[in-house]
Amino acid sequence: MSSKLINKRTAATFFLGTAISGSWYTATSALLTGEIVPVVGAIVLAGLAPFGVNALRPGGNGSLDSHDMAQRLRAFDSHAIVNILDTCGVLKQVNDRFIELTGYTRDQLIGQPVSMLYNERSRELAAEMRAALKQGKTWQGETPLRCADGRVIQTQCTVMPLFNKNGDWTGSISARTDVTHANELLAERDTAETLYELRDDIWIVDAETHRFSYMNRVAMSRTGWRTEPYSERTLDDLAEKSGSHAILEACQSLAASGKVMAQFDTEMFGSHFQVTVKLLPIGGKAGRFLIMLNDISDIIDEERMKSEFISMVSHELRSPLTSIKGSMGLLLSRAAGELPSKARALLEISHRNADRLVLIINDILDLEKISTGQLEFNLEETDIAELLRETSAANSSLEQRHGVRIQVENTDTPMQVTTDPNRVIQVLTNFLSNAAKFSKPGERITIRAEENDHELRISVSDRGQGIPASEEHKVFQRFADLSNSKRAEKGGTGLGLSVCKAIVENLGGKIGFDSREGFGTTFYFTLPKKNSQVAAEETASLLREAS
Amino acid sequence: MIKLLHVEDDADIREIALMALELSGDFDVVQCETGEAALKQVQSYTPDVILLDMMMPGMTGRQTLEKMREMDSLRDVPAIFMTARAQHNEIEELRDLGAADVISKPFDPIALADQVKAAMQAA
Repeated sequence: MSSKLINKRTAATFFLGTAISGSWYTATSALLTGEIVPVVGAIVLAGLAPFGVNALRPGGNGSLDSHDMAQRLRAFDSHAIVNILDTCGVLKQVNDRFIELTGYTRDQLIGQPVSMLYNERSRELAAEMRAALKQGKTWQGETPLRCADGRVIQTQCTVMPLFNKNGDWTGSISARTDVTHANELLAERDTAETLYELRDDIWIVDAETHRFSYMNRVAMSRTGWRTEPYSERTLDDLAEKSGSHAILEACQSLAASGKVMAQFDTEMFGSHFQVTVKLLPIGGKAGRFLIMLNDISDIIDEERMKSEFISMVSHELRSPLTSIKGSMGLLLSRAAGELPSKARALLEISHRNADRLVLIINDILDLEKISTGQLEFNLEETDIAELLRETSAANSSLEQRHGVRIQVENTDTPMQVTTDPNRVIQVLTNFLSNAAKFSKPGERITIRAEENDHELRISVSDRGQGIPASEEHKVFQRFADLSNSKRAEKGGTGLGLSVCKAIVENLGGKIGFDSREGFGTTFYFTLPKKNSQVAAEETASLLREAS
Repeated sequence: MIKLLHVEDDADIREIALMALELSGDFDVVQCETGEAALKQVQSYTPDVILLDMMMPGMTGRQTLEKMREMDSLRDVPAIFMTARAQHNEIEELRDLGAADVISKPFDPIALADQVKAAMQAA
């Protein structure tokens, strides 16, 4: 092959192609003619540029002879992972380093689309790479490679286009360096730095000796052990210092029980913490405890202030409402004489809406108490059958107001359950009120109780307009506006069913509804029945945990 | 006529309660703005029933009742609280304190007279 017939691009293609197939010396001998050496060297070294070897570029310290070039190319071959593709992205050649690193045989690779080595990320980059190559540009960046055993390695990659003697694009050559380990080290360093700078206190202690093996910055600062090495301390030292007995007890309990994680709130160092203790086993044995302390003092203060604010606002609203409702009530009762009919109608609207405002305030207070675990539940043995009859009678005013009939079914025999009767009445009253509002005069509303071995199911059915299927998911949402609800007109608060759901769930039951648009709705809730005492204890325990 | 002492700091609520109780025609109502004023009033006036607001500046309704209970003449007089804080536990606490009933605010003025009479009867 005459070097004079080879243009610079062809020389590069020939040289690299030969080199990559493993015949470095063939390639090198072709270089000895002289003209192509600087070109090939430039291409190869351009490929090495990202690896910080620009100093090797010829010209910096004299001309490059063929012997030097051969040695340097050998060094390059042993360092870089190199492959050549045709224009369709099919692997034409790979070097030994490529084989060694990816774990494929040469036969498994040659003739295969390079996409066999891709993952999601490399597929994204391939289009970008291809666009650069088509324009004769070099592409550089980090790309993943999928190995024969499924591992994915990260490579720092330089891809250059290859052209034939006519200047046509014939494919590309890629030179890569495996940067997986470097990336992992960087990630580990980032993790360690993040952990160290974390706002939460992090302790790691030996599971047997309780000796500290790690503390992050905030933990050292809080314990005052920044200067004293914490590795000479144990959890027992801290328990004496700060009163953090709960953590010590949690560690002892985890070690004894075989459980792996405990979470609780406790007060230490004058702050309120949410503590997570995790047992990290090493080699099947109890190894270390990872203890994370999240300072939630601010959150608790905020919640307390929010709760106090809502409570204060709600109660402050009640005083003027007492006067407003009281005045209107007296006027409507003719305490100040007979009113003109139009004035009376307007007053009735005002009175009705004042009632609604009171209900909204009550619901807001209930929801606030539920969210902070302050809503009280007083569990007692209750005959639900009798409770349903009483609730029906207490809501008889709905019959007059809406012209409906309330009927109680299946309550002839007592149905005992341990629950909070007042809260059950609250839920039932809400169901009845909704049913009455959405029923036409003359329609019947049915209260029904059913029982099986496990639970009681209490339902209220109406024959009203029903709930559109497309809006069923909104029913228990706060202030949900269903298209046919006419909430404002019907006097709803938009909170009642949310409150009911929270109450029922707190009582250990489930709430739901069945509805068919145009035919009516049945709202129901269940209460655990079997072993009612046990269920009550569980409920009480849940409530204690919730609060 | 039933002699009723009403202690309430809100003038509007005092007026509404007065009208509501007078409507029934069964009550002779004396009203005070504060707990301190009520304690002075009872030196010369022994009511048959006391209607007490809970939240008042100065002495609260609870403190007022505690002081009244120290007086022989008022030890057994039925007391009814009116409160905007009508949570179950608070109502129980007030009952433990000797309250004959706890009326939630806003109250129904038309039902007020009957509620007071019922509480007196139950006490």
